[in-house]
Amino acid sequence: MTLQHPHAELSAYIDDALDPAAQAAVEGHLVACALCRSHVAQLRATAAFVQALPDPVPSRRLVPRLAAPAWLAPLRTLMTLASGAAVFLFIASAVISNITFLTSGGATGTTAQEASRDTAAKVQAPAAAGPASTPSPAPAGSGNVAFGLSPSASPLPDTARAPQGAATDDPRTRADRSTAVPPGAPGAALNPQDAGRLTSAEPQRSLLNPWLWLALAIVCGGIAIALNRRLRTSV
Amino acid sequence: MSAASESELQLLIERARAGDTRAFEDLARREERALYRHALRIVGTTSDAEDIVQEALFSAWRSIASFQGLSFRAWLFRIATNRALDQLRSRKRRPELPLDPPDDDDITWAEPVAPGPDLTQLAGDREALAAVETALGALPADQRTALLLRDVEGFAYEEIAVITSVEIGTVKSRIHRGRLAVRNTLISQGWRGPDG
Repeated sequence: MTLQHPHAELSAYIDDALDPAAQAAVEGHLVACALCRSHVAQLRATAAFVQALPDPVPSRRLVPRLAAPAWLAPLRTLMTLASGAAVFLFIASAVISNITFLTSGGATGTTAQEASRDTAAKVQAPAAAGPASTPSPAPAGSGNVAFGLSPSASPLPDTARAPQGAATDDPRTRADRSTAVPPGAPGAALNPQDAGRLTSAEPQRSLLNPWLWLALAIVCGGIAIALNRRLRTSV
Repeated sequence: MSAASESELQLLIERARAGDTRAFEDLARREERALYRHALRIVGTTSDAEDIVQEALFSAWRSIASFQGLSFRAWLFRIATNRALDQLRSRKRRPELPLDPPDDDDITWAEPVAPGPDLTQLAGDREALAAVETALGALPADQRTALLLRDVEGFAYEEIAVITSVEIGTVKSRIHRGRLAVRNTLISQGWRGPDG
């Protein structure tokens, strides 16, 4: 065997990376050399060890999201703007609510409306309680006095005007009276028209609710942040 | 790799080269974890390794039109390896061993001083694997890179030469020196090599 210990070739030998002649020469040497055989076995075992190392897992997705939809960026901008607008409206509605509260001497617009409704019910109740043929001599200005307490009150309800037209014994009026409920009962003096007016006032009150805008700002802001993260991982 | 999956891979590569983002994502997803483990063992920190892989994949997408010749996997590894080595070089705070070690002739073979556990018996031993990790971490970056590309990723010497942009003789030298250094570390920790 003319070959000296081929130490530098042993790794390439076990990887089959030598040319055929060199591979054959090393093989020939190994037949006669126990030391090199031992080294080859050690290198093989070392390679197996390196190969057996545990496979680490990344903590996040590393593949860029190249296929981000075209609408993603405009939507993010829209959501950011919407969030900003909602914050503005939150502040504005909070300020308006405070001003309303202060100018009404502590009573909010909502409570003023409720007060006017109660008053209207009280005006209408005696008429409903008495016989239809004997109209109660309600003062002509009673409704005005009653609603004068609340400048922001809604127009006089039909039921409140009923006593003035009771002498006509209009069937419609009778029908209204028959549906009237004594004061204090749930839903007292709320005819369908009143209910309609009240429900039309609901959206106005909702729009002035600052918490609505705050919630909207949070939702839009959350969506904008999520979209921004999505876009950051995109090309 | 079977012929079917090979042709599927070629189809994906062609679609990606034509600008199909989903095809590229598919290709990248196949190598994501391998690239991460490779980058992690070169740079040593998870956050850096994640950034390197993500940037490498971005870079690969941008330059996919220029991809040719090399296998797609080797091409991705080349981009990621270059980024990892650049990152390592730019670290001033961490002292790094020289990238170009002396010639193979200087390598010494440490011999066990006393009979110890056989390496083959330690194959599933966590302690031994931890010792290998430590030994790898102590290697010069170029040896570590070559050894990982060979023993973990299974690249041929020719591919490693292209990935690391060096001559094949250098690859041979780096792999052998790296493997021998790991073997010597295990020997120094009381391991007795398998009898040849």
